[in-house]
Amino acid sequence: MTQAMQRAEPAPREVPPSPGNEHIVEAMNRRYDAGFVTDIETDSLPPGLNEGVVRWISERKGEPAWMTEWRLAAYRHWLTMIAPEWAKLRIGPIDFQTISYYSAPKAKYKSLADVPKELIDTYDKLGVPLHERAKLAGVAVDAVFDSVSVGTTFQKELADVGVIFCSMSEAIRSHPELVRQYLGSVVPTADNYFAALNSAVFSDGSFVFIPKGVRCPMELSTYFRINAGHTGQFERTLIIAEEGASVSYLEGCTAPMRDENQLHAAVVELVALDDANIKYSTVQNWYPGDENGVGGIYNFVTKRGDCRGARSKIVWTQVETGSAITWKYPSCVLRGDDSVGEFHSVALTHHHQQADTGTKMIHIGRNTKSKIIAKGISAGRSQNSYRGLVKIEKGASGARNYTQCDSLLIGKQCGAHTFPYIEVKNPGAIVEHEATTSKISDDQMFYCRSRGIAEEDAVSLIVDGFCKQVFRELPMEFAVEAKKLLDLSLEGAVG
Amino acid sequence: MATGFLEPLIAEGATLAGGQAGWLGRVRANALAQLARDGMPAARSEAWKYTSLRALAQRAYQRGDSDAAGRSIDAGLLALPGVDGPRLVFVNGAFRADLSRIEPIDGLQLHTLSQVLESDADSLQGPLSRSFDDAADVFARLNTALAGDGPVIRVAAGRRDLPLVHLVLIGAAASTELAWHLRGIIEVGEGAALRVVEHHVGESGQAHFGNLLTQIAVAAGGRLDLLQVQNSSESASLFRRSEARLAADAQLEMRSIEAGTAWLRHDLAVTLAGDRSRFVSRGVFALRGRQHADTRLDVRHAARDTACDIVWRGVADQRSRGVFHGAITVNPGADGSDAQLSNKNLLLSAQAEIDSQPVLEIYADEVKAAHGATVGQLDEQALFYLRSRGLSAQQARSLLTLAFCRIAFDSIENTALREHVDALLLERLPEEVEEFASEGAPA
Amino acid sequence: MLKIENLHVRVAGKDILKGLDLQVKAGEVHAIMGPNGAGKSTLGNVLAGRAGYEVSAGSIHFEGGNLLELEPEERAAAGVFLAFQYPVEIPGVNNTYFLRAALNAQRKRRGEAELDSMQFLKRVREKLAVLHLKDELLHRAVNEGFSGGEKKRNEIFQMALLEPKLAILDETDSGLDIDALKMVADGVNAMRDPARAFVVITHYQRLLDYIVPDFVHVLADGRIVESGDKSLALKLEEHGYSWIAERKLAGAA
Repeated sequence: MTQAMQRAEPAPREVPPSPGNEHIVEAMNRRYDAGFVTDIETDSLPPGLNEGVVRWISERKGEPAWMTEWRLAAYRHWLTMIAPEWAKLRIGPIDFQTISYYSAPKAKYKSLADVPKELIDTYDKLGVPLHERAKLAGVAVDAVFDSVSVGTTFQKELADVGVIFCSMSEAIRSHPELVRQYLGSVVPTADNYFAALNSAVFSDGSFVFIPKGVRCPMELSTYFRINAGHTGQFERTLIIAEEGASVSYLEGCTAPMRDENQLHAAVVELVALDDANIKYSTVQNWYPGDENGVGGIYNFVTKRGDCRGARSKIVWTQVETGSAITWKYPSCVLRGDDSVGEFHSVALTHHHQQADTGTKMIHIGRNTKSKIIAKGISAGRSQNSYRGLVKIEKGASGARNYTQCDSLLIGKQCGAHTFPYIEVKNPGAIVEHEATTSKISDDQMFYCRSRGIAEEDAVSLIVDGFCKQVFRELPMEFAVEAKKLLDLSLEGAVG
Repeated sequence: MATGFLEPLIAEGATLAGGQAGWLGRVRANALAQLARDGMPAARSEAWKYTSLRALAQRAYQRGDSDAAGRSIDAGLLALPGVDGPRLVFVNGAFRADLSRIEPIDGLQLHTLSQVLESDADSLQGPLSRSFDDAADVFARLNTALAGDGPVIRVAAGRRDLPLVHLVLIGAAASTELAWHLRGIIEVGEGAALRVVEHHVGESGQAHFGNLLTQIAVAAGGRLDLLQVQNSSESASLFRRSEARLAADAQLEMRSIEAGTAWLRHDLAVTLAGDRSRFVSRGVFALRGRQHADTRLDVRHAARDTACDIVWRGVADQRSRGVFHGAITVNPGADGSDAQLSNKNLLLSAQAEIDSQPVLEIYADEVKAAHGATVGQLDEQALFYLRSRGLSAQQARSLLTLAFCRIAFDSIENTALREHVDALLLERLPEEVEEFASEGAPA
Repeated sequence: MLKIENLHVRVAGKDILKGLDLQVKAGEVHAIMGPNGAGKSTLGNVLAGRAGYEVSAGSIHFEGGNLLELEPEERAAAGVFLAFQYPVEIPGVNNTYFLRAALNAQRKRRGEAELDSMQFLKRVREKLAVLHLKDELLHRAVNEGFSGGEKKRNEIFQMALLEPKLAILDETDSGLDIDALKMVADGVNAMRDPARAFVVITHYQRLLDYIVPDFVHVLADGRIVESGDKSLALKLEEHGYSWIAERKLAGAA
């Protein structure tokens, strides 16, 4: 689908505005709480990309030769590819030679106990506890700072039940057979432009392996932080759930406020074997740029889950509030009979943010089922698009899909768009798609206010209600964070 | 890059444009230059995502039919029950005065493009100067370069209660495969009202490529009801583009019944340019064999309080493929827009395919916009109900399938015409539908 | 408590209220009756502060202050409550959450302590019991998928919980069957209090059998044309609204 994207069209001509809900829009100021920079000595590559850089990264991480070759093959293929033309995104060309492909804190940490206080404090400030106290939260965390993982909590407790949760670098060293078997098996290196780039230069990420029959005893979580300037973050995450295994994985992301655009091009691969269950939740709050559209992260991510086994299930849930540009379609390949894919999404854009996000549900096995719930909220001068593909292949008899996309507009200068693609080749399948676009109704606002709720709180209340279906899918701690994020984004909404 | 399909047509177009001066010559030359430069749309063209042009690009057609004037046409072919008013008939792209019926009616002009180009060419400069700058519009460019004739229908301001105008486009058998290009103009004056049937028929076996581009303008407070009954030969190919621009308080109601052709592409582009203008579209395609039909709607709300109401149904059987693209754009400031689109499809065979792509692009906030699309099968409960009342499974399926399609034309007031369309579709519905629903259903 | 003087209101460029006067004292129940299009709902909406209602002349004072200067939420905090004729649905927003947010917003504005969830729930249960409503109402989204009757009962429930000083009931009886009507009336009667006033807007006399008013006013063509006690409502029921118009004519002659 991404290959087929059209060139950006000029905006339609404007007809004179009518009086409307400017009062809601007016003072819509956004605060970005995660915008600080951590002062720590780093080890960075100078900007630029060539085979030497790819080799350097691989060597630096002490990777085996097959891994170096894998990266180089991806790099050479990337050179033959053309950067995609964006459908609805306005984006200047990216100069890949001005980006640094590696940045890491200088010191190496043997265990979490060695991690310096500045770093621990950084994550603490972001609400991600890495120290002992973390145990109370009952969530194991892998913290990725710029290009590397700085530490993973609860590793021992997880190892006791056979669960492997570590950084990708460590997995390549300690579990090469698993990495070799699964890496690139869901998102091939040549899949798309940014996936190829990621395959060549990825620096770290999380690795999760849940062995047969094991229900992971706690939530696993990775917290991604871009800190250094002029760097790109290219993480790679691989989650494997063997037969009958289940896991819930959470991911959070932030970056400092800088007036440059930084590139984040991640690849996430999920593999679910027979009866396995993977729940992958994201709260994405990369720096969105300022109110004039200066700076912010380019978030170009390839996320795909492979329901390889019968009766397997993969659920993607995402709350996207950050990034200058978001381009991601967490997808499910429903290969196993009776497998299930779900996608629940809230995407909020404001100021000059652009989001083009959605999912692909590829039904291959019999009686496969998918559900898509996408909620888009556009404010300011932002553009927010849902783009999704539901494909029913010939053999997918009994396949079912239900899709619901709702868009909410706050203000007159933003756009909300819906681009579903429905392709059905099996006459035993049923596919249903519904979409609506509206603004917060004046009636709803007045109703809330006449009960004593101030305008700003009423907006937040109604938006929260609009997103409720998706928030319900998030683990409790994340649901709270997600709601706070939305409130923050809508703070000062009315004057 | 020219191809087997384009090359001879471009060459003939060049001969045609050679002697032409003035604006029309420039318009045609420009279209030819664009065609020569861009050729056929690239395989990745989003507008042609579900319709491959590869096979067509390799076929060569002869432009125009030099024998068109003398071909004998069975009167039954062009008859349409309930329709006996003025008639304009084109055979293989050539106007046939002998088959047409043009009586003088106050306020209604029925002409051909070639007549108007001779008598009052400047009155056509506006619509004919339309330039297609997207390489995806290859057939519209061809039409611009090559169409020398077509129907011109104009209604004077305030004229209403006019008889139904019957426009017939016939594909007649010929010794070679032909490509014909017609340009239609329909202009409805202020406060006027007009009803038109655009009727495509063909002698069986002919495999011509037809290209009809119709430009519609409805002035303030005017209304056009356009019924498209497309029952061309099942081996013919047809590209049809219907473009409309509606002024304030204007209304366009279209009903499109697509039954014939091996290959069909219908572009339907409507701009709601005036406040409170309204577009209603009902359509259905019923496909079998290896038929391929691609309907591409593009509605733009460019003024306040405009409305569109779109309901399309699709049925694909055997090895056919049905494509529906329905895009609605609401421009910035087009407050009060109300946009509704529904597309439902029945997929009846394991070798058939349905692709549906409803699109909303919204740049204004005072809007009500919604779309829905489904692909599925007949309701098992309804089937059971009918069978429990004594119908055979096959009868029940045909009946329900017809009912499913009927939404496209059940509001046609002309009973004879409505029943004709009904019969046309019923005849095309599968006689023996395999029982797919039970095949893959969970136990 | 409420003093409306010479109120003129325009909606979308059209004069709807044309010099309305009304005084309501604490503890009183006033019924406003009148034919369709007389401006009854406009009065309710203006009191609650809905946008699009332009006051072109006149004044509204509530407890001595200028009500027209207040935002809708400030009016709510001051004790004005409108039971909507058509309560709006707010998908995804839980009814309990909504009510607590509303109550605490009002309390905060008045400088009172906010209720914690235990205190709030206790209060909710009391009110539910009084109104004979089911718990289930609390778990649903605000008005979403409610029947017409449920929406109206939810309005009365909100009124009971928010304990306003002045409650305006805008055609709360419309679309209700007799049982639902009684339930609504019971809810209102249970809240009658020397410190609280009601303005009951209705088209039919029926509701007034259950909520017995102290005063009945007839609103026609944008102003109050007749006032009286509850017997006026019965006369209207008997003779229809044209009777008023005829009487006016006779009076003028």
